[in-house]
Amino acid sequence: MKKFIINIIIFFLIALVFGEVVVRMTHATSDIPRRTIDKFGIQKYYPNQTGYWQGGSHQWMINKLGWPGQLPNSYDNLIAIVGDSFIENFMNPSACHQSFILKKEMPAYNFLEAARSGVTLIESLEISKHIDTLNPKTILIHTGSSDIYESISEIKYQTDVTQLSTDDKVLQRGKLKSPGLKKVLYSWKLLYYFYNRFPLNLTINSTKSTENRTIVRSKFEIHETRVRILLDYIKDHYNLDNKIFVFKPSSEKDLVDMFKSLGLNTIILDSSEESSWTFDYDSHWTCYGHERVANQIKLALIRDFPNLIN
Amino acid sequence: MGNTSIELCTNMFFNSIEFFIFLPIVFSLYWLIGAKNIKSQNFLIVLASYVFYGWWDWRFLSLILFSSIVDYSIGLALDKQNKSSYRKTLLWISISVNLGFLGFFKYYNFFIDSLRDSFTFFGADLNISTLNIILPVGISFYTFQTLSYTIDVFNKKLKPTKDIVGFMAFVSFFPQLVAGPIERATNLLPQFSIERKFVYRDAVNGLRQILWGLFKKIVIADNCAKYANLIFNNHTDYNGSTLLLGAFFFAFQIYGDFSGYSDIAIGISRLFGFNLKRNFAYPYFSRDIAEFWRRWHISLSTWFRDYLYIPLGGSKGGLKMKIRNTFIIFIVSGLWHGANWTFIIWGALNAFYFLPLLLTNRNRVNTDLIAQGNYFPSLKEASQMFLTFLLTTIAWVFFRADSVGHAISYLQHIFSSSLFFKFEIFPSTILILVMFFLITEWLGRSGNYALEKIDFLFKPLRWAFYILLIILMFSFTGEEQQFIYFQF
Repeated sequence: MKKFIINIIIFFLIALVFGEVVVRMTHATSDIPRRTIDKFGIQKYYPNQTGYWQGGSHQWMINKLGWPGQLPNSYDNLIAIVGDSFIENFMNPSACHQSFILKKEMPAYNFLEAARSGVTLIESLEISKHIDTLNPKTILIHTGSSDIYESISEIKYQTDVTQLSTDDKVLQRGKLKSPGLKKVLYSWKLLYYFYNRFPLNLTINSTKSTENRTIVRSKFEIHETRVRILLDYIKDHYNLDNKIFVFKPSSEKDLVDMFKSLGLNTIILDSSEESSWTFDYDSHWTCYGHERVANQIKLALIRDFPNLIN
Repeated sequence: MGNTSIELCTNMFFNSIEFFIFLPIVFSLYWLIGAKNIKSQNFLIVLASYVFYGWWDWRFLSLILFSSIVDYSIGLALDKQNKSSYRKTLLWISISVNLGFLGFFKYYNFFIDSLRDSFTFFGADLNISTLNIILPVGISFYTFQTLSYTIDVFNKKLKPTKDIVGFMAFVSFFPQLVAGPIERATNLLPQFSIERKFVYRDAVNGLRQILWGLFKKIVIADNCAKYANLIFNNHTDYNGSTLLLGAFFFAFQIYGDFSGYSDIAIGISRLFGFNLKRNFAYPYFSRDIAEFWRRWHISLSTWFRDYLYIPLGGSKGGLKMKIRNTFIIFIVSGLWHGANWTFIIWGALNAFYFLPLLLTNRNRVNTDLIAQGNYFPSLKEASQMFLTFLLTTIAWVFFRADSVGHAISYLQHIFSSSLFFKFEIFPSTILILVMFFLITEWLGRSGNYALEKIDFLFKPLRWAFYILLIILMFSFTGEEQQFIYFQF
């Protein structure tokens, strides 16, 4: 038995080393950039990192400002794009980033992306507050229903993103979630590969459902008051004149209408065309999806917001 | 896959994370208890097996428990009785209970549907509705296993056991509980009453067989399943050559799936000091259908041979009896797989394949190892193997199809002029993997499983090969597919 266990342990260790080499060589798992929190409390990435997306098809890069993608050659005539993983866009090569496509479509302008997966609406606005110092013509804030609800701590409290407590009207800054553990996980590629490949599903299914016993209301109807408090807070604390809220195609109409009713600038993306914008295995946009998004934004900017971009 | 409905809850497949946690825990506890403490080890096996089975649906544990108690008691009663009629009654109670459960859970809806269809055919209406029955996983396997016990005790081939825990462990032994091999009481039951020693070579052999089984399931079966499903589900969209390729994919899917499961089951049993019967012996290297059936699902074929074919008279009677018995055994074997006409026709088709060999006394021509001592088969052997594989694959179309109509339409599309068109789907990577698999099986065909005799390799090379298999498994893990035979 002793010999059996020792041999299993040795085999296991050799297999681990071998597996690590194979995973690194074949880029079986994506490289994940390390995060930091800057002096303004904004959670972003350590500057000047590079890595491969899964499969090694392309490389991503973090620029010197700590955001994914390339920096524009100049900050003149600047249009900034703020958003979550859709804008961060690690899954596509740099030629499929919003800044790259929009630059091709609107060469007179320079585009800067500032995105991080998981940002809430309130966090996007915090980011945009700092981009305002670069004096952009406009800032496109990509958002959707979940980004808005996740901005409110009373709806779903999360420690790793910035949220607003609508009861106290206090901003709660996000903290890095298990940075040490993540560092180990992302550096030990084989472990990360297994983590992605065989996710631990620790969700406990509860058979009790309160929703079944009450009249079903939409999420917006349930949280309308808190969303209104959030938007009032946003109006009071941020300069919204040069901001345009770009809503993802799946955004709730009631939410969009509330933004409109407050006189906020909005662009609503429409993906109701034959070809899908998203990957088969992932809800993020493909290169084609990004091209369609950029095209709709360009048309909307020229048609609806000439005063902002001229 | 037929119309057999099956609902599985949270699953503990051999290729699931849950099982990879479960197995080391049970293994450690088992050997910590110590080989001297057989009763405690048996109790642990029962407990572990019930947890394993209960992971699917704990409600059906009652069936296993009931079946175990009935057959244990009948075994003891048979031993005490000498009166023939009383003994026969006891045997029939056991058969009725076991086949009653099987019949109700597996065949009730099929027979009701068939009866209703027959009445409709003759212009009458039969107003009986089917039931929403969940098929207990592995019921066909453990039912046959426990039946073998009472039949053997009845035939006085086996002394009944007085150890109820050992008997319950025999019925519910988790490595082979849900998909076999169907163990004979004469082989497995005595192993629960003797001291099991941890033997290094057996344990290593067991692990190696588990590894090979996982490779067959994860790399070969699951990846072939992807294309087999695609082609079978949209068969009217493809040309004949692609449909033939789809049927080949299914042939490798079912072989990789079921023999992979058997390898894992046998390997796990070795880790616990048990020897299970071999269930597959490289069936696709068979030179005729009779040889194929001696190499495919051996535990079921021999079960039917011993408990059905021979009692019916076997091949000893006249021509009529030979034909009748051959059809009975193959059709019953088809029906055992599922309550659907597709399985019955699959069985009948195999009977048609087999009969000419039986009637010309050529069914035992190929009993030796193919191309023994040679690296390559002769041209004759290669063409015999290919023909047998082709015939088997055609039969598999019925096994895989959703209905008889689906199977006939599929075969019609294969045997059309488009059979000679270019493949519309040609997943070269998967085909290379299948080739790798076949070559490994061919080279290892003298062993009980392909890697059994790999010891001749220098240890670092051997380990490198194991690591290669593991890497292939992780690289080609597709959508996790349920083991096909769980529904039988």
